[in-house]
Amino acid sequence: MLKSKTYELEDPLAVQEYFHSRRWTDGLPVVPPTPQSVQEMLDRANLDPEHLIGIEPVRNRRMTAEKLAVNAVMAGCLPDHFPLVCESFSAMLKEPFLLHGATASTGGCAVLVVINGPVREQLGMCGTFNVLGSSDRATTVIGRAIRLILCNLLDARPGDLDRSTLGHPGKFSYCIAEDEEHTEWLSLAEDRAMPRGTSAVTVMAAGSPRQIMNEWTTEPEAILDTFVAEMKACMRHYSIWPGNYAIIIPPQLRTHFEKAGWSKKDIRKYVFEHARIQRKEWADCGKASVVGSQGEQEYAALTDEDHLLVIAAGGPAGGFGAVIPPWFGTKSKAVTQALGVCLDCGPQ
Amino acid sequence: MKAEQLGIPAFAIMTSKFVSAAELMSRVLGAENYPFAVIDHPISSASEHDLAHQAEQAVKTGVPLLMR
Repeated sequence: MLKSKTYELEDPLAVQEYFHSRRWTDGLPVVPPTPQSVQEMLDRANLDPEHLIGIEPVRNRRMTAEKLAVNAVMAGCLPDHFPLVCESFSAMLKEPFLLHGATASTGGCAVLVVINGPVREQLGMCGTFNVLGSSDRATTVIGRAIRLILCNLLDARPGDLDRSTLGHPGKFSYCIAEDEEHTEWLSLAEDRAMPRGTSAVTVMAAGSPRQIMNEWTTEPEAILDTFVAEMKACMRHYSIWPGNYAIIIPPQLRTHFEKAGWSKKDIRKYVFEHARIQRKEWADCGKASVVGSQGEQEYAALTDEDHLLVIAAGGPAGGFGAVIPPWFGTKSKAVTQALGVCLDCGPQ
Repeated sequence: MKAEQLGIPAFAIMTSKFVSAAELMSRVLGAENYPFAVIDHPISSASEHDLAHQAEQAVKTGVPLLMR
């Protein structure tokens, strides 16, 4: 039995205006949720309306399946998308993710969701062309649902609890599928201990993507030096603290790694060893006042090599990659969860 | 608020730019009108002199909150 309050309005335009007036949207039109459409979401995920996805610990707020379903409908999700919305939010509620900090901070990160496994193909997700810019329906609406849930259930609206100074466009939707079909590498989920063939989500409190380009070499080390240079720039210009960085490597660059026999593990090791700066480098970019007496101290972008999320994605042509920095060091850690697997559920 | 719930005397300090967020969180946590000290914003680029002034601001408004 659904418990959400219902409203009756004259026509579709009135519905949109009402939702906007209540600040229930992200500024774009929404799909008006109806009892039927919300119930269809819940039925697809086989969840009762009162099913507890988790509890937001700072506000002690219960996140129920019904409330998530309402927002998923509004975002444009189909029922088949809803299990991924629930799984993503469940991952975000895990303690290492530090949901409150990540969504309230002036740092202005967004929640990057990376999808792996068979569910990508089942839902028509595309990890190739325009992967960071609404490449397909499923990733777009799932990412948007996450944002609407944050706004409507956790007050993370701009100026309320979302205190982002700038934010970034990923706040609208920041969900991608890894391109597992055009690589021999292990998927991100496999790299993070998920069995092969498992559909999984990885969530990360992430800054905006910083695009790099290098089409003038086939040497893995040289290609990675470009990624590393961007990470070092981020450490100088934004935050020196280590955390989960993600790098997105497109097919044109992956070809060079794979020909040279480089795995994702090799990439992580190289980046871990090279993405380092000294504190005194802050003096070159206007931050001399905080260098102090520790100028020679070295800082690594990663506390260990497994903190680098290596993602195969992007269109077939072009030597363009991306570095996606963490929100704020290790305050928030990326979380990976298998779709539909409840580790807390005992036998009934 | 957590400290006070544990019986530890405490008061919260907000910079002026976060007053509305603190008020919202107070409401969300069922403690509307929860009092807190307010100091100037920002902290990170404040001079030694300004920081000392902000500390004085915090003490001036915070101590009565501890004594209430």
